[in-house]
Amino acid sequence: MTAVGMAATTLPAIPFPHPVGRPVAFCVAAVAAAWIALRPQSALALLDWSPHLLQGFAMNVLISASAIALGTLIGLILGVLELSSLRLLRLPAITYVQIFRNAPHLVLIFATTYALPFEIAVGGWHIAFPDWLKAVVGLAVPASAHIAEIARGAIQSIPAAQWEAAGSLGFSRLQTLRWIILPQGLRRSLPAWMNLYASIAMGSALASLVGVEELLHAATDASTAVRRTDFTIAVYLTVLVVFFAYCYPISRVTQRLERRFAV
Amino acid sequence: MADTLLASITLDGAITFAKGYGLNFSFLKSAYERDMWLEGFRTTLVLIAVTIPVSLAGGILLAGCLTAKNRLLSLPARLFVELTRNTPTLVQLVCAFLGLNMLISDALGGAGRNPFGAFFWVVTVVGMHGAAYHAEALRAGIEAVPDTMREAARSLGFGRLEILRWVELPLALRIALPAIFNNLVNIVKLTTVASAVAVGEITYASIMIWTQRDIVVELMIVLLLFFSAINLALSQVGFWLERRLRTPGLGPTGQGL
Repeated sequence: MTAVGMAATTLPAIPFPHPVGRPVAFCVAAVAAAWIALRPQSALALLDWSPHLLQGFAMNVLISASAIALGTLIGLILGVLELSSLRLLRLPAITYVQIFRNAPHLVLIFATTYALPFEIAVGGWHIAFPDWLKAVVGLAVPASAHIAEIARGAIQSIPAAQWEAAGSLGFSRLQTLRWIILPQGLRRSLPAWMNLYASIAMGSALASLVGVEELLHAATDASTAVRRTDFTIAVYLTVLVVFFAYCYPISRVTQRLERRFAV
Repeated sequence: MADTLLASITLDGAITFAKGYGLNFSFLKSAYERDMWLEGFRTTLVLIAVTIPVSLAGGILLAGCLTAKNRLLSLPARLFVELTRNTPTLVQLVCAFLGLNMLISDALGGAGRNPFGAFFWVVTVVGMHGAAYHAEALRAGIEAVPDTMREAARSLGFGRLEILRWVELPLALRIALPAIFNNLVNIVKLTTVASAVAVGEITYASIMIWTQRDIVVELMIVLLLFFSAINLALSQVGFWLERRLRTPGLGPTGQGL
């Protein structure tokens, strides 16, 4: 734990501006300014729709954060199971990871949307199971498979001598994992985990195809309501820019971490 | 006659066999749904077969631009790569299909005159998405080529492009091979976004059947196995190529042999 804490505090601040952050911001500002000057009416329409779009984006953040949280939890367990000495535990975990790592996110989102019930009955109570939650499950499944591989790689990257040393100090296998291997593995797997987070964040746009009211869906709503070519293009470009603003900083921090942890 | 009889017997047999495991594949008896589904498999395979070469060609081009000394080449390439890598492919596809495609239609005077269809835009967007990732892998590979080799080539009178073609790319390709095959697996998975613009690939065909029948689990098993099989085959080809093209004296030795 201390190793991770230290890494967080000594990490140098990311220098601003980013290598392409500034040119992208400049292009976006120039195009936006020209468009506002030429078509003020459409620009006002976009302003009108912006609360709806923002609400949609909040849904993307909610879906991606929940999916990665759920995926990390399941993936960590799977990653440990993949290394278990018991075949009965190891084989199912490996099979799960192989199948769902190769599965398209979209297929899984459609499958969970159609296969899961719209409400769950727990002892007389009916708990609603909305579409966005199904999308969370659909994204958490491939996320967990990827995290299992990240976790397995991280655990295996720690020299075997440490297991033996811990054993000789009286640590059990599980204690060694918890107190010696995982804290070090966590640090090494952080860049890969963040890459996955960005990938899942982008995957959350797929939820629009199963009717979840997220950013892309909100943009389609706006485009069908306003029905103007330049507005349609502007609103979809806005979606593109918003996702870029969400994911690019993550990828920059990841690159920095990768460089820091590189040996 | 005998052929169709045999086919129907084996099909019926397969359906009954699956039923024994609680899986309902009776939709295969409907010629319409069966044809749509089989066409879906075919379309997915065609989509993959077309997109992969597009992505590789685009990747090499972009990698050349990324490593160019001229900022007029490298900056736009860098912008394109970062924009592509950090935005959802589906949003890119929607921007291209509903935005760019509409502008082209308007410019040509009507959608009827626009030669580009949904299939073209899927190949372009997914292909260029893959190209951006290939380019990053190749750039890392090019940068890993020892400077002495570049100097040796220069002293032999090679120009910048010749060095790229005959010295840097062959070595970079080998270094980048694992990453490139990883990207190809991603491309295979990404072709499913084609269903969003009604290209009748296997996901689209399955969705069409799902809206008619309650057989989600059945079709999902087939879909997962189908994509697993393609990606397994791809990674096997990757391993084989890696072993075959391994440069003696470069990279980790004694691995994969």
